[in-house]
Amino acid sequence: QRFRFCGDLDCPDWVLAEISVLARISSVKLKLICAQVLRELLGEAIDYEKILKLTSDAKLESGDVKAAIAVLDFILSSAAKHNVDGESLSSELQQLGLPREHATGLCRSYEEKQSSLQDSLRAGSLRLSRLDAVSWRVDYTLSSSELQEVGEPLVHLLLRVQRGERGEPEAVPMAVSAEKFRVLLAELKQAQALMKTLL
Amino acid sequence: RADLTAVPLLLVSAVGELGHLAVELLRRGAAPKACEAAARKLSVGVETVQHGVEGLMYLLTESSKLMISEMDFQDSIHVLGFSDELNKLLLQLYLDNRKEIRSILGELAPKLPSYHTLEWRLDVQLASRSLRQQIKPAVTLKLHLNENEDLTTQVLQTDPSTLLHLIQQLEQALGEMKTNHCRRIARNMK
Repeated sequence: QRFRFCGDLDCPDWVLAEISVLARISSVKLKLICAQVLRELLGEAIDYEKILKLTSDAKLESGDVKAAIAVLDFILSSAAKHNVDGESLSSELQQLGLPREHATGLCRSYEEKQSSLQDSLRAGSLRLSRLDAVSWRVDYTLSSSELQEVGEPLVHLLLRVQRGERGEPEAVPMAVSAEKFRVLLAELKQAQALMKTLL
Repeated sequence: RADLTAVPLLLVSAVGELGHLAVELLRRGAAPKACEAAARKLSVGVETVQHGVEGLMYLLTESSKLMISEMDFQDSIHVLGFSDELNKLLLQLYLDNRKEIRSILGELAPKLPSYHTLEWRLDVQLASRSLRQQIKPAVTLKLHLNENEDLTTQVLQTDPSTLLHLIQQLEQALGEMKTNHCRRIARNMK
């Protein structure tokens, strides 16, 4: 059977197995654990101690606690990835054996954070490089070894490019003559106009 | 062998301590502080302790590597002329730690870069400087590889039809596992 939150594929076996672990936690505590997992997905630190305290009633082994966090992580991020609404997620989870109260609580937490989750996932999507900053300077060349009276403007551009996720941005300096710069500017303006039509 | 002659000079109970140090050496590498502490406890020189530990470690790794039986292990250490009690302790040390030592040794083999994760994105090129009004889909892949604890990345780009061909080839490769030839070999390996 296909599930929307799994991207219209079968539900992975391990998810099916761990849903029964989730059912052993009370629905109130599950909602709180959900909130913690959502915080982590949104880039904040996870409070593992808190989760341990919340799961202590259900007498879960440490392996089970980690599995519960992993399955919640999967369900929430996968649902956001495939743009599944709270209602559909709730009914699919119930089909997989999660009790109704648990599913409703989980999906309510999900709905609150769905758009922030999707924004965060969008920001984390593959990017090869990123323009960090642009700085420029206009000079006027008076004279050179080749020609005594040059009298031409010259643009110095410094682009800072972030390659990959870590490290310092790379500095790419270049000097552009007046004509070349006019061409560059015209082309970039055309590209910008095209981008505006898409927004 | 010379290292192991140091062992009976120490109390029999100390073998437990040295054995523990030897296994720790295998797990994590040298621990000079632990050797010093042991040397003080047994009132012998640090050198003696280190040689003893290294000797024990060699004995354990070679035995585990070759997966020798109890009988063979006992015959081997019998040559060293230790007391029966010491022999029994060494045998117990070997049997207790054999599995773990074998798994550590297994990880020391050289490895090819292995798959870590794959990021992808699907883009559509709508226009370029030379040509407007295009529709050109492209898939960009960033393959993350794990090469001996070093994470390296490889960026690739392809069009959808090449990607489909790639998927088809990979599925064919997986399908090979189900042929009679592969099944026969897999059965014989077990």
